[in-house]
Amino acid sequence: MAANEEAMKYVWEGAIPLQIHLHKSEVASHPAPPPALVLAPRIGYLPLLVPLIKPYFKDSLPPGEDSIWFDYKGVPLKWYIPTGVLFDLLCAESERPWNLTIHFRGYPSNVLIPCEGEDSAKWNFVNSLKEAAYIINGNCKNVMNMSQSDQEDLWTSVMNGDLDAYTRLLPKLKMGNIEDEFSRKESLSSPVSRQGGGTEIDVAGQVKTARIPVRLYVRSVSQNFENLEDVPEIDTWDEISYMNRPVEFLKEKGKCFTLRDAMESLLPEYSGDRAQTSGEEEADGSQETRGEIKLVRIQGIELKLEIPFSWVVNNLMNPEFYLHISVLVIGPQR
Amino acid sequence: GTCFRSQEEKAMEAIKDALRALRKRHLLEEGAHGPAISALSKPMISQGSEWKEKTEKLEIELQQCYKAQSRLSALLVIEVAESRTSKASLQDKELLINDLEKDLSQTREECTRLQEELEEKTKTLDLLITENKEVRSQLEEMTNRAQKAESENKMLIDRWMLQKMQDAERLNEANALYEEMLAKLKANGLENLARQQVDGIVRRNEDGTDHFVESTIPSTCGHRIHAHEGGCGSILFQYNSRTLFTGGQAGPVKMWDTNSGSLIKSLNGSLGNILDLAITHDNKSLIAASSSNNLFVWDVNSGRVRHTLTGHTDKVCAVDVSKFSSRHVVSAAYDRTIKLWDLQKGYCTNTVLFTSNCNAICLSIDGLTVFSGHMDGNLRLWDIQTGKLLSEVAGHSSAITSVSLSRNGNMILTSGRDNVHNVFDTRTLEICGTLRASGNRLASNWSRSCISPDDEYVAAGSADGTVHVWSISKGSIVSTLKEQTSPILCCSWSGIGKPLASADKNGYVCTWT
Repeated sequence: MAANEEAMKYVWEGAIPLQIHLHKSEVASHPAPPPALVLAPRIGYLPLLVPLIKPYFKDSLPPGEDSIWFDYKGVPLKWYIPTGVLFDLLCAESERPWNLTIHFRGYPSNVLIPCEGEDSAKWNFVNSLKEAAYIINGNCKNVMNMSQSDQEDLWTSVMNGDLDAYTRLLPKLKMGNIEDEFSRKESLSSPVSRQGGGTEIDVAGQVKTARIPVRLYVRSVSQNFENLEDVPEIDTWDEISYMNRPVEFLKEKGKCFTLRDAMESLLPEYSGDRAQTSGEEEADGSQETRGEIKLVRIQGIELKLEIPFSWVVNNLMNPEFYLHISVLVIGPQR
Repeated sequence: GTCFRSQEEKAMEAIKDALRALRKRHLLEEGAHGPAISALSKPMISQGSEWKEKTEKLEIELQQCYKAQSRLSALLVIEVAESRTSKASLQDKELLINDLEKDLSQTREECTRLQEELEEKTKTLDLLITENKEVRSQLEEMTNRAQKAESENKMLIDRWMLQKMQDAERLNEANALYEEMLAKLKANGLENLARQQVDGIVRRNEDGTDHFVESTIPSTCGHRIHAHEGGCGSILFQYNSRTLFTGGQAGPVKMWDTNSGSLIKSLNGSLGNILDLAITHDNKSLIAASSSNNLFVWDVNSGRVRHTLTGHTDKVCAVDVSKFSSRHVVSAAYDRTIKLWDLQKGYCTNTVLFTSNCNAICLSIDGLTVFSGHMDGNLRLWDIQTGKLLSEVAGHSSAITSVSLSRNGNMILTSGRDNVHNVFDTRTLEICGTLRASGNRLASNWSRSCISPDDEYVAAGSADGTVHVWSISKGSIVSTLKEQTSPILCCSWSGIGKPLASADKNGYVCTWT
């Protein structure tokens, strides 16, 4: 299997085990229902899980209309963020299964935007797709020119986690591609050898500025820590800052734009020599008041910062052509 | 250069590392938890879809139930309304039932009462039926008794009649003996009797010769005399004279001169209705038969009653006197007897009994035979001495009303209610002539007809007041005399040939010449 194919497979098949508890204020049956266990696709969204979860709790619900929302440790979860991203962001020490609480009443409209179930998620997806197209192509004509049924099919493939269907539909989308000479190689062969493929649009050798759609989620903790398990539990969304900032880089021959480069461009205040890769904690002992990137998670894994950014983009992006990066920093609360 | 290559090597390392991390992650996350969760959730999911199906089914059922419910609600509303009306009507019916029950009990009482009445009535009826039966049987008894009594009565009457006849016979015998004894004393009388007995030929009276006058056919009315009030039943001419005697309903017998039409004298002393007149051959004595059961005998000259002959027990309707002796009178009365009287003695010398009443009577020329005409239409001949029936001939189909002898004594005229006038030969008793007329109807049981003195003509009156005159020899009408308007009761022809006189019910007498 080609490397990018394998990676994409893992990305699309990735799913987090969730243990969903009904909020005790909403338990209207005795005994209280046991928590529901579901596998939530990483590239999916929480609202899409409701049909799976609701059957567990419907008998226990008090009378009234449902307005469903989730919380982790009391923190209401933003439903338009892919489930995998939420997990990577909010759980420093990966909690498997991830214990969430489901609510059917009392939607916190001051914190969460309204959600109408699948339709909201779909809208969100298409919107994001348009944003991405704008960033990549400079316009979102390709999305708008796509037929309604094709859009539906695209969304359905994402909902169902059907990579094959998605791959078949991609040509219709005509989204510009990121050149990535690393994606198709199995061995360390010449970086210039490219396999023919329909997806590459550019003429060989042309210098191009790539613009990558990125959503960056930065959680800052005030105290330094040695182990992830020492990271305090998330309290509010105030701890998290969200950036929707594209990464631009020049495709230069001989030069490789790495992840590190990308992070520096995104979070210049946290970059520098002090930036650390995952797994290696330099027990420097000195704690700078200047922010320090402790953790960079993409698709649930920590990457070596030397990894070519283009590979990351091509293999680890979400179906809406956005790359979601969760970062844990030590720094002042914003 | 090498920097690039080492960069590239680093890159490749990083990529491999990333892949390894993905694999690890897979193992930790979906790889580890996936199968268990899917195993757990399958039933839930499938249940979920099952539940979904069930829910859908139940929803459909519920909808149907709602529909059914609404239908049933509508029906229920109707039923409730109907139920209300039913309750209301039920109440009404209950009230009605109460009323009907009252009526019924009343009616029952009434019925028992009527039944009792009926029983009573039936009992009464039974009683009445038995009583009726008894009465009927009593009636039968009575009827039987009455019948028996009637037949006994008849038998007694017959016996009594027989007794009477026997008594009469005895009386006659006694009279005969007495007569014989007296006769023996008289020498003259015996010669005459012997002579008459031998040949029976009528000899003319030695005292005088009768004038043989030809009678004229009467056609015109001479006089119309109102002789009597209430009807004139009997008229008679004196022998060979125009003097006419008339007798009526009441009052005296009158004597008229038919020439002048004036009254000569009245003969008083009679009672009742004069039904017949007879005069002796010497015109000296006039005898009248009366409805007062008596006969009166006048002396014409003096006009006084010489005898009143009693003995009949009913009205005397016919009388005749012997031309020969002038002392023997025969009378017939409605007591079914003919009596023979002797004027010299003044009493009845013989009585003849019969069953059918006699209406007219006439003696033969020799005075020995009595001719009687009866209600049964028979002409009977009796021997005057013995009182025995000599012969009997059926003359008419109805009652005989008149018996008249011809002048020569050979013919006898009978008239009957059958409106037939028969002329019999007195010797043979054969009919030698029958006279009828279409308008001739006899008015009463004592309508008297007469023969003309020349024995040629018969005159008879009719109920319409007409007098018919026939010729005996021709047998046809020779004259019809119309003057009177009420029924003719009696006709008499003068011995000198004219006039003919007729008397009617109003008491008028007409003379015809």
